[in-house]
Amino acid sequence: MERYDVAIVGGGTSGLTALRQLANLGKQAVLLEAGNTPGTKNISGGILYSKKPKNGRVYNIEDVFGREFIDDAPYERPITQYILHATSKNKLYSIDLTPVHEYQINYAYSVLLSKLIPWLAKEASDMSEKMGGGIISGVHLGSVRWEQGNSDIVIDTDELEPFRVKAVIAADGVNSELAEVTKARNKFSSEQLYQGVKVVIKLPETILEERFKVTSEEGAAHLFAGDVTMNHIGGGFLYTNRDTISLGAVYHMDSLMDNPIEPSRLIDTLIRNKLVAEFVKDRVPAKKSSQALISKDEEIRQHFMAVKLLKNWNNLRSEYYSRDGIKRLIESGKYGTKDEIESRIAFLENELVEKYNYEFGDNYVELEYSTKLIPDGKRCRMKAPYYKNILFVGDAAGRGVFVGPRIEGLNVGIDDAVRAANAVARSLDRNNFDEHYLGNFYTKSVEESPYTRDMKEIDKDYLKIFLDCSKNIPKDIVGSRYGMIFKLMSSGTLRGIAVGFANMLGFDRLLPLVESVDTYVNVPVELADRLGKTIDSNYVPTTPSLQERIAKLDYNDDSISHIQVTEPRSEFMVKMASLCPTRCYSYENGNVILQHEGCIECGTCAYETLWRHPRGTKGVSYKYG
Amino acid sequence: MGRYDCMPVRPLNVGVIVKLEPDFSEGNVSYNPDGTLNRAETKNILGPHSAAATLAAFYCKVKYGAKVAIGTMGPPIANQALRQAQLISNADELYLYSDRIFAGADTLATAEVLRLGVSRMNNGLGADIVISGHRASDGETGQTGPQTAWKLGYPFIGNVIDFHIDQEGKSIYAKRFISLYGFYDVIEEIQAPLPVFISADPSYKPSFNTISERLSLARNLNEARNKADNFEKYLQVFNSEGLGADPRYVGLPGSPTIVYKVEKIPKAKAKRRVEFVDGNDTVKLDMVAKKLIQLMTEAPIK
Amino acid sequence: MSGVTQNSEPSTGDLARIESYQHLYVVIEHEEGIPVPVSLEMLGEARRLMDNFNVKYSSNEKVVAVVLGDNVRHLCQELIRFGADVVVYADNHSLKHYTNLLYTKIICQIAEDKNVASSISPNRSENYKKPRYMFFSADNTGRHLSSTVLAQLESGLASDINKLVISDLEIRHEHKTKGQTVKFEKTLEMYRPDFSGFLWTTILCLDNRNPVTAREYHPQSCSIIPGVFEPITKEDQRTGTIIDFEPQISDEDLRIKVLSRNIIKSTIDFESCKIIVSYGRGIRDSPEDNFKLIEQFARALNAEIGISLPISKRPYQTKDQHLLSYMIPERVVGTSGRKVSPVVYIAIGISGAVQHLAGMKESGFVVVINPDSDAAFRDECDIFIKGRLEEVLPTLTEHIKKHMLMIEKRA
Repeated sequence: MERYDVAIVGGGTSGLTALRQLANLGKQAVLLEAGNTPGTKNISGGILYSKKPKNGRVYNIEDVFGREFIDDAPYERPITQYILHATSKNKLYSIDLTPVHEYQINYAYSVLLSKLIPWLAKEASDMSEKMGGGIISGVHLGSVRWEQGNSDIVIDTDELEPFRVKAVIAADGVNSELAEVTKARNKFSSEQLYQGVKVVIKLPETILEERFKVTSEEGAAHLFAGDVTMNHIGGGFLYTNRDTISLGAVYHMDSLMDNPIEPSRLIDTLIRNKLVAEFVKDRVPAKKSSQALISKDEEIRQHFMAVKLLKNWNNLRSEYYSRDGIKRLIESGKYGTKDEIESRIAFLENELVEKYNYEFGDNYVELEYSTKLIPDGKRCRMKAPYYKNILFVGDAAGRGVFVGPRIEGLNVGIDDAVRAANAVARSLDRNNFDEHYLGNFYTKSVEESPYTRDMKEIDKDYLKIFLDCSKNIPKDIVGSRYGMIFKLMSSGTLRGIAVGFANMLGFDRLLPLVESVDTYVNVPVELADRLGKTIDSNYVPTTPSLQERIAKLDYNDDSISHIQVTEPRSEFMVKMASLCPTRCYSYENGNVILQHEGCIECGTCAYETLWRHPRGTKGVSYKYG
Repeated sequence: MGRYDCMPVRPLNVGVIVKLEPDFSEGNVSYNPDGTLNRAETKNILGPHSAAATLAAFYCKVKYGAKVAIGTMGPPIANQALRQAQLISNADELYLYSDRIFAGADTLATAEVLRLGVSRMNNGLGADIVISGHRASDGETGQTGPQTAWKLGYPFIGNVIDFHIDQEGKSIYAKRFISLYGFYDVIEEIQAPLPVFISADPSYKPSFNTISERLSLARNLNEARNKADNFEKYLQVFNSEGLGADPRYVGLPGSPTIVYKVEKIPKAKAKRRVEFVDGNDTVKLDMVAKKLIQLMTEAPIK
Repeated sequence: MSGVTQNSEPSTGDLARIESYQHLYVVIEHEEGIPVPVSLEMLGEARRLMDNFNVKYSSNEKVVAVVLGDNVRHLCQELIRFGADVVVYADNHSLKHYTNLLYTKIICQIAEDKNVASSISPNRSENYKKPRYMFFSADNTGRHLSSTVLAQLESGLASDINKLVISDLEIRHEHKTKGQTVKFEKTLEMYRPDFSGFLWTTILCLDNRNPVTAREYHPQSCSIIPGVFEPITKEDQRTGTIIDFEPQISDEDLRIKVLSRNIIKSTIDFESCKIIVSYGRGIRDSPEDNFKLIEQFARALNAEIGISLPISKRPYQTKDQHLLSYMIPERVVGTSGRKVSPVVYIAIGISGAVQHLAGMKESGFVVVINPDSDAAFRDECDIFIKGRLEEVLPTLTEHIKKHMLMIEKRA
């Protein structure tokens, strides 16, 4: 049997960070990724933070990948604006939370993981190959076992012959299979999870920059609470990427279970909010239904011609509206002046309208639909994130950080991964993989991380900044429930005591108060109604049907289903017929039936099913992430 | 770090025959008003079946440390097919067989050029295994591979879905997939001595089953990416003289078959225009029934 | 390309040439002694072509079936009943399963064997060189076999043919005729659909009549698409000649061995069906009864039955074993199942999800039966019958049976 030093399961940001960190320390490690290539099965909201806590330290991505990350990595934009909108119909009340966003950060970049992760993978594997390791894609973990006599872990996968390693880092996400096969922890329940549904929307670069009033070195984050949530706890987000927008809604699973609505509908509600609609608007071609009688041959010919023209129009327009695009086009020699390019675009539009029955108008262009579960670290982080000589990092360990409106997942996983890699390297040096030497050491390291503190306590300085930003909100709207708290928190001295007291009580006692329909729906709605500005929008976005969204995704179907329904009649499963983002569940004659082929592997149904990821290379592949 | 099943006396020489073809995907393909392919406006790529063949060669490289040479007959731009093939297979040598007199060749005349070309590979050592794709996406005859094999005097095995080489015994064990229309499907295992000519089934996908093979795969792909920037370095071009071809057996003179005419097929595949029928209308339903029977009994031209 | 002008006199040189190339050889494929359907289809077309040929040219050339195998002599008589005049049969244990090298060698031995030719046409074989025409099947075996046989016989091959005509053509070709107009008699026009599916390309295999590169190219050969031509109606009284051929096999040839053959569990044969009838969730109100109606409808049309993906998950409680046997993954049409392209595709109670459409959109003519006129399928069919299957199917089935009866009466 082949033997290697370390195996890392999962090629997301955490896994790749662990691989690179181990290589930095001169250690050999092999990373297993189930997707066809790293980056095809990763979703993020997404913003990647680099933090500088006042107390303690965290490991940021540039600590592992070097200055090259900041200089060369294909992240999207630095996020420099952070605005929260309370919504009620077409009224919005906006609060500038940029100071909150900037608290203790070095930078915050919007990211699309399908682009970022391949870059990280190359950087990690180049280094790792020098140490005799590397990345192996298209491989799905089957199970692990320990044989008598030594602490080596034998890894069985669906695709490869078994091999053994001295230690494993589990970076396989919120639906961690290592957690499942070792029973290192329970499956996350709906109380512990948030479901995030997201769409990526196309918006040409310079149009985006003008609309959001940012330069090429800047970006904006807009958050939404109020009636857009359809009475759920959580909110919507909109992040500007280079020439796309990440738009999504994140809701607490318990509130979704109380009031199940299809994720596709939830995101549609967000898209139709007037401000959002105006944000995502672009000039979009649509084919008018044909009245003319033409021969079928002519119809085919027209179809091919129109498709080509559309492609040319799209490409030229994207280039025209990209930074330096006009310059590039002129340099290529194809066009002499900006006017020439504009005429050409107009000409193509005219051809499409006159000859091929198209029309151009306001709408938005949706590129990709996705869903992801986010573990709430306050409620479900693993207190001892290891099992024998397997260390758990990031989402696999349930370590998502929710601080008010901000969700941090990527950076937490990166910090965990470095700590895990360091712990494993230390064990390799001493050839000691004992629980006391490895597992405990790692646990202590993670406990010391400021991120863990964020999962246990309120940071009073953060709270102060938040309150300062919202000081214009009339006190009476906040209502009797919060009145006392606000009084306490607003005063500097009292705040310190109050927070100390609150932290003693424990986060979980306070949570129901803070994370409630009041906070996320009622208060914002009232704010908007009373003080909000009216937003006018002259068009209603045409949102795609769920079928159309699924049709755009890339699937490699497996004949075997990776999920098995064990409770076809339970209350939970019946709700899955609504909460599965791709309608894989249908409810017929009192039983819940599964059609696994459209599955995007979010894990919403994992709690009461036999849930595994699909086999290597199978299942969905994302193009944006 | 990488391990091979057994160290060969000399490395295996693998030759691949590929073709540059029009890209038929929507948005890339262009048709003339009369429905014929507009080659001038359509991008060209390494044909998908050629790509499958290239993967089979790559399998030999990763698993057995084989030397891989890729050859193609075509005009000068056909070197793009070679470049793309090198990216997939980390090929060591690229060969372009190009000459104006090769034009107009049917499969027999093409096979003649290719068999001369294969003999030139690997410094004139030829190949132990020659691999071709199942067919080309234009043309689509699937004849060139077997005819080249016959002219080389190598046994031909088609529709290969899996294979391994016994380097000591100098033979190949290949699995073929055979569809028998009107019967069932069969998977057959064949043994043949090297040298041999195989064509990869369109579904062929190489599988590498150990960590060390997978790591070798990743290393090879990296090397391939580095080579592709500089692919001319690995390219040799042969014209008719260089190959020692007899002008009577190549190009148009060497082609038994010619294209006589091209015409529209009476029933074109088209986007449908739907006719609505009310389910209660028995008269209309009768007409539908008649139409179904008419379609059933007409000569079925697929 | 070339131009065609009016008839002119045959040159006397042609007469001598004609004698060297005679008969239509059809290479038969069989599986364990049973001919595969395309073999009988090829014989049917061969029969029709040669009957016309012999009338038109006042000649007596034969349809010669070529069979290789181990102990399958019983096949020969069957082939005669299906139109062969002669069957040449090579019987050897090593020929039990097709291998390209050995089969190619032996077929070429047969094709060029003068003794065989003189057994076929005793008085006209002194100049015999090769067959005039050769047919192969355009399937996995036939396409490769035809290629290597024609490489050995050094003549022309057109593959995937679906129409054949024998005629005299006036051709002017820059190379074949050095720009002159030359009459080529008894030329086989071989039609094949090209890659786009729009166009028919006609291929000819012609001698080089160009003095610089003069060469004879026979047999004119093609591989034939299964399911295109019809076999003749079997004639039990038909007689013909069976010739036993002693193949020359060397030890070298035997080094290629078939080690094993595994039949993959028999799949539902959608390929040879002209009509496929599929059903989906529309049966939900009464699955057993509705399925019966669908089955009757399908039987009237001689159609195979497909299903939509959700049905394969068996969403309905039923004890009806027969119905259950039809709700299996092998019958699914769509990206998760089979891709089909029959002449007629009929979708009953299927809404038209993208994945299903992807599996059948290449079908010739599409009929949809669905009570919901907003179903996605409405944009992807030729006829949309708005109605419930319980009402539409019985009516349609009745009309179909009635018309079929009338046709049979006429025949």
